[in-house]
Amino acid sequence: MKRRAWLFSAAGAAGALLVGWGMLPARSRLGSAAHPWPAGAEPDLTGVVFNGWIKIRADGGVVLAMPRSEMGQGVHTALAMLVAEELDVPLARVSLEQAGSDAIYGNVAMLVGSLPFHPLEVDDYSAEGAPRVRPAKVRLGEWMVGKLARELGINATGASSSVADAWEVLRVAAATARASLLGAASLDWKLPVDELSVSKGVISHPSGPSAHYGELAKYAAATPPGEVKLKNRKDWRLIGRNAPRSDLPAKVDGSAVFGLDVRLPGMLYAAIRLCPMLGGSAGAIRTDVALAAPGVERLVRLPAYAGSTAGFAVVGKTWWQSQQAALAVPVDWQQRPAGGLDSAQIGKALEAALDREEGHTFYEKGDVAKAEAPASRKVEAQYSAPYLAHATLEPMNCTAQVKDGKVRLWAPTQVPQMAVAVAARVARVAPEDVHITVTLLGGGFGRRLEVDCVAQAVRVAMECGGRPVQLIWSREEDTMHDFYRPMQRARLSASLDAKGKVGGLQIRSAGDAITPRWMERNLPALAAPVETPDKSAAEGLFDLPYGFASQRMSHVATRSGVPVGYWRSVGHSHNAFFSESFVDELAVDAKQDPLAFRRSLLEEAPRHLAVLDLAAAKAGWSTGLSPGRARGLALHESFGSIVAQVVEVSLQNGVPRVHRVVCAIDCGTVVHPGIVAQQMEGSVVFALSAALYGRIDIEEGVVRQKNFPQYPMLGLAETPVVETYLVPSERVPSGAGEPGVPPLAPALANALFSLTGKRLRSLPLSLSEG
Amino acid sequence: MELQINGRLVQAEADPGMPLLWLLRDVLNMTGTKFGCGVAACGACTVRVDGQAVRSCVVPVSAVEGKRIQTIEALGTPDKPHALQLAWIAEQVPQCGYCQSGMLMAAAALLDKTPRPTDADIDAAMTNICRCGTYQRIRAAIKRAAGMAPAGVAKRTKA
Repeated sequence: MKRRAWLFSAAGAAGALLVGWGMLPARSRLGSAAHPWPAGAEPDLTGVVFNGWIKIRADGGVVLAMPRSEMGQGVHTALAMLVAEELDVPLARVSLEQAGSDAIYGNVAMLVGSLPFHPLEVDDYSAEGAPRVRPAKVRLGEWMVGKLARELGINATGASSSVADAWEVLRVAAATARASLLGAASLDWKLPVDELSVSKGVISHPSGPSAHYGELAKYAAATPPGEVKLKNRKDWRLIGRNAPRSDLPAKVDGSAVFGLDVRLPGMLYAAIRLCPMLGGSAGAIRTDVALAAPGVERLVRLPAYAGSTAGFAVVGKTWWQSQQAALAVPVDWQQRPAGGLDSAQIGKALEAALDREEGHTFYEKGDVAKAEAPASRKVEAQYSAPYLAHATLEPMNCTAQVKDGKVRLWAPTQVPQMAVAVAARVARVAPEDVHITVTLLGGGFGRRLEVDCVAQAVRVAMECGGRPVQLIWSREEDTMHDFYRPMQRARLSASLDAKGKVGGLQIRSAGDAITPRWMERNLPALAAPVETPDKSAAEGLFDLPYGFASQRMSHVATRSGVPVGYWRSVGHSHNAFFSESFVDELAVDAKQDPLAFRRSLLEEAPRHLAVLDLAAAKAGWSTGLSPGRARGLALHESFGSIVAQVVEVSLQNGVPRVHRVVCAIDCGTVVHPGIVAQQMEGSVVFALSAALYGRIDIEEGVVRQKNFPQYPMLGLAETPVVETYLVPSERVPSGAGEPGVPPLAPALANALFSLTGKRLRSLPLSLSEG
Repeated sequence: MELQINGRLVQAEADPGMPLLWLLRDVLNMTGTKFGCGVAACGACTVRVDGQAVRSCVVPVSAVEGKRIQTIEALGTPDKPHALQLAWIAEQVPQCGYCQSGMLMAAAALLDKTPRPTDADIDAAMTNICRCGTYQRIRAAIKRAAGMAPAGVAKRTKA
């Protein structure tokens, strides 16, 4: 009954929308009666639907359809702010409902951001700050990928793209609803619309009439919005200011529901063991041993789902009982047919690939060969980075129920549609018969862009007679069966003229391709039939802001067999270490101050220069330091945002101790400065853990690191003071969750060089091995 | 088996060797206490036993019979939140939030013993892992709860 009522009103609104909607590019993502709510698995059918994003409740509260996953990055607060701003309601009046699988919720910005263009080509402002026409290939590429992205509608939370993607569509969705509400009041009261004002969700006229949104909603949903205008910057009350994050109260009293906290009547708990050899399989399994254990109900074999390794699950009354039984089961594990993987061998193979292959050229400027010919000498270096695990603090888990031909999922995932798709494939049902509830994520960092664990949970649930099952990986399984950041080797070479000026810069790196493998396992229908160049592996090397006269950057994509995936800031995370350490080497070679050397190369990149200068000024780059301390800096652009960091380091018992990190960031218009600061602080800690400790080693197919004691992470006592400074900007917002990661390792390595004279070219940084 | 949890006597049927964490989570459905590593390395499972911060993933329930167990669910109440919970909000500490129950319980144990902790006290007591890297705000929030820090980390961000 109610459902029909709002469908009707949504249809009315959609019809009306076509009138006032001229050229706004976001309009195709607003939604209409063709893609109505209910969105999530358990929709709330109260309230009046205005479009695919906004619903107004009878009490005037605003409901926002939320497609993005909250994994700590504050997206639930930031996106609600955009809506509250344009609707003129207090932030606390916006509540969230999980969005459905419709294409309008797809992340367009993420796909457009994956194009392999140099950022200085993508920039729509010239070096002088004037608007400029961008190259045709950029405009065409963005148009085509944008169109494709809107068609595909892939809902993913990643690539630091949530705010950038929502920026236009959410404000337009809210402003349209506001315009209809004002129009309805105007018609109802027979008063001119421009004499009405809105405050805290109440529309009023100086002559006395007043009504809150809830009172007008039903009428307004069928009222044409007329001309829709977004607010002027100067009228913003929320955007650009700090607001309390809406997700925090539940995170300090234990009531927040992560994937692991789902509780359902009659629920069982599954523990898993996968073959310890990556890509291996299970021969004979002593099922009887598991079934004899207390509390255990069954054992289910698991094939190698979605790029993971095969194994089995034990189902019982509590997870601990299932886990104890799983550990006790004797299994005849089999090595993969191609033989055991070995990370040391893979490192040698990467170097051989660099000796042998040119790779795909991602960027070429000028004539490098010509620059090399008259060069009086060269500066060359080889850098390396190891495999890394994500180590989200909430271990991989998924809760599933398979009953009467339908599947219910409760999952902490960055890719709900892909979770649904894999569940449908495993259970052999239509995707329409799978419903998902996305819980809070206890960390994502790219690991939850994978759905291996969803497939396993569904497989196990199929054997449990309709009862829900919560499948949880132990920390050991989580560490030993990740989709790792791929190991890399890079060779960098600069040719210098007789005066010591750098003429040409060449960079070639090698490592496993990420995106083609991810597509194969998560979007098989869209995976390319041939191996395509992998921008995510080369980003951070081919897109440098420096004005070296000639440059060539290429990447050799390899395929080792180790499962690799997206790790916070992806290619940038190691490539910035290579490029920004090497730039420092060039400064040292030129006997120039690292800041002055970089500044001299940033003529064409004034935004980068401003960020660098801000960080240097705040850090007191040119001021003295107490004895035993040194500074290092790095500058890097990723996900559309530019970050410079200055690291202050000393040695304590021969081990690096970072005291202070100053971050400057230009991420366009800042929606919530406090969240950007949180992300800088978190990125520094995340990157420092990797720079000092992070490595995954593989021998005979087995990951040697099993749990946190062998895969250490930074603790509170070692955490430096992190300061964040924002460059004022009126550009479209760009990423915040990842761009703080890449500059940290090179800034630290550069500081350690300044302190010790030792150039560390291998991660993790070690003064004893370097 | 009878346990004293959050001021109430609770009857539970469980293997005496089951770690307290799993009794709380899977038998009593008290999910505020988290599982992170299972080897007492990360502290996500921290609860208080007779006031002490304890990593419940390695403590068998048989070892806590007759002792006072406190979990995050009883650190404060909606009407009267603990000073640390208020400070955690004031400093906007959590990101993903998964480690924060354990962090708060560890901090509560610290402040009970050391009401005005030095940085060194905080370093020594707060050994839990936060993968999101909220440590700097945790330090500020502990000082705030102890009445020692009027200005928080949030103020350190400048446009």
